[in-house]
Amino acid sequence: MFLALTEMRRAKVRFGLLSGAVGLLVFLILFQQALSTGLINQFIGALRNQSADVLVFNAQARKNLEGSIVLPAQQAAVAQVPGVAEATPLGEGTFTVLAGVDGAAEEQDAVIFGYQLDGPGAPTTLVEGRLPEATGEAVASSRNADEGFGIGDTVTVVPNAGGAEVVFTVVGLAEEINYSVSPTLFTDFAGFEAAKRAVNPDATAVLPSVMAVRVADGADPEEVAAAITAAVEGTEALTRRQAVDGSPGVSAVRQSFSVVLLLFYLVVPLVTGLFFLIVTFQKAGALTLLRAIGSPAGLLVRSLLLQVVVVVLTGSVLAVGLFWLASRGGGGLDISVESGPVLFTVTLVLVLALLTSLAAVRRVLRIDPIAATTGAGVQVG
Amino acid sequence: MSSNPAPSGAPLRLEAVRKVYRSGDSEIVAVDHATLTVADGEIVALLGPSGSGKTTLLSIAGGLLTSTEGRVVVGGQDITDRSPRELTEFRRTTVGFVFQSVNLVPFLTAEENLLVVAELSGRSGMSRRDARQRAKELLDELGLGHRAGNLPSQLSGGERQRVAIGRALFNRPALVLFDEPTSALDTKIGEQVMELIQNEMRSRGTAAVIVTHDTRMTHYADRTVRIVDGVLSDDPVAAGHP
Repeated sequence: MFLALTEMRRAKVRFGLLSGAVGLLVFLILFQQALSTGLINQFIGALRNQSADVLVFNAQARKNLEGSIVLPAQQAAVAQVPGVAEATPLGEGTFTVLAGVDGAAEEQDAVIFGYQLDGPGAPTTLVEGRLPEATGEAVASSRNADEGFGIGDTVTVVPNAGGAEVVFTVVGLAEEINYSVSPTLFTDFAGFEAAKRAVNPDATAVLPSVMAVRVADGADPEEVAAAITAAVEGTEALTRRQAVDGSPGVSAVRQSFSVVLLLFYLVVPLVTGLFFLIVTFQKAGALTLLRAIGSPAGLLVRSLLLQVVVVVLTGSVLAVGLFWLASRGGGGLDISVESGPVLFTVTLVLVLALLTSLAAVRRVLRIDPIAATTGAGVQVG
Repeated sequence: MSSNPAPSGAPLRLEAVRKVYRSGDSEIVAVDHATLTVADGEIVALLGPSGSGKTTLLSIAGGLLTSTEGRVVVGGQDITDRSPRELTEFRRTTVGFVFQSVNLVPFLTAEENLLVVAELSGRSGMSRRDARQRAKELLDELGLGHRAGNLPSQLSGGERQRVAIGRALFNRPALVLFDEPTSALDTKIGEQVMELIQNEMRSRGTAAVIVTHDTRMTHYADRTVRIVDGVLSDDPVAAGHP
């Protein structure tokens, strides 16, 4: 401890630069992760942040909400599967709506989800206001509150010829409930049905896109989903997580970001490991002397690893600070800050840095104290 | 071979020590049946040309190397068959070293280079307060009190060797081993350092072995032992007192 910290105090610039470099790299990792999460949330936040444990798709839709409808016979059959406590319709559609602020409403696209008010499928991230309690009320995505989707604003579905205007009043705001990067509303199923009929007055029936299922207490959603798929012909039931991960585009976005992240995860520990290897070579004489006067090799190794921990943690604090500033600043970028990924990243970087520092540890363990009598340092090779 | 009558608890007793380096079928005998006893408070100069085996012998006495044959007893402790881990502890607690070139940790101040000895001993060593007091006393005695906060790079060659002497004495060792302590210094500074070594060892009654190839330095020792091709012999001509 004494040796490690004294050396760092005496070589502030050297260790400071390394901590800075680690900090910037960890910041980039956090930023990339947040950007990825933010983008994915914009695509499928509505699926991730709703209350159904399982979503039952039409099998032919291939996990695509837009292309899925659940037939009445299937709806009834889903409710009969063991482990299903409740199964209610959940509709989704993209509509042209009139929304805006200060009386300057303009046409824009919005996604409307309709769920049974007392059933699964309700948004779970309400940050302001309340959930809808009657037809004509809706919860909107908080990200779009300033674009005519704030509490008290009205959103009008633009009807096609022959259709009736449908108006929703925003009564609550929920975080990360966007779908397809559009303003998103959660309303009751009847409201959704009315919106569908507004744009398609000739529709004989409005079918739900998926069935929202709440599983019985103690039941495993994954097992229940598998049971539904097996029992109800023509359906594919997915847990909430499976539905999110399987959404078209999400896996492609994840894969692209993963490649970049993997590179960063390799670079940070390599930089750290290489730095400490070089430092170990540079101070070989001092380490040899310390071994000669009776320092156990373990003490020198612990000193080295302590320095790795201090550098990575200092860098991580810097990274989190920068990340916090970036998330505040925004700059139009969609950054999502979540403590779990931050902690995971810092821990992973630390573990990888310790692993790559094993090369330096090996050098320390190879020091022969007799070299103090010859002036030689660490043996090479 | 060289011997002096001394009690069994003598600071250093080497009995028929042999060190052989093997390379394939060939053998190089670095030290050949060396027997040497250093009495309490005695300063012995180990004189020999380059490659004569003097540093090897010193390293065996200090637990840096193990002998191939023979017996090594330091401060009453038989270290002949000790494991590397036990020898590390022995070096930390029983002997002091002053080396030829690399002698100080560059990122520690003069005072910290002494305190590191206590740090290496961990909880079994002296308290931090006592260690600081001890370091201060030693640096004052060595005339380096005003240089306590200086890094080695800010010290002259002579000052660096004096700090190294302080470090070697820090744990009140039974024996201090000097490996060519003046070879990197000019004659005048070298003599000052030797005089300091002599005074410090005498005032404490600490035994010392000083390896040197410089006959001008041997008069600081109580006795000179010559080593040639690994074989020890008394050198009455070189022995003397200042």
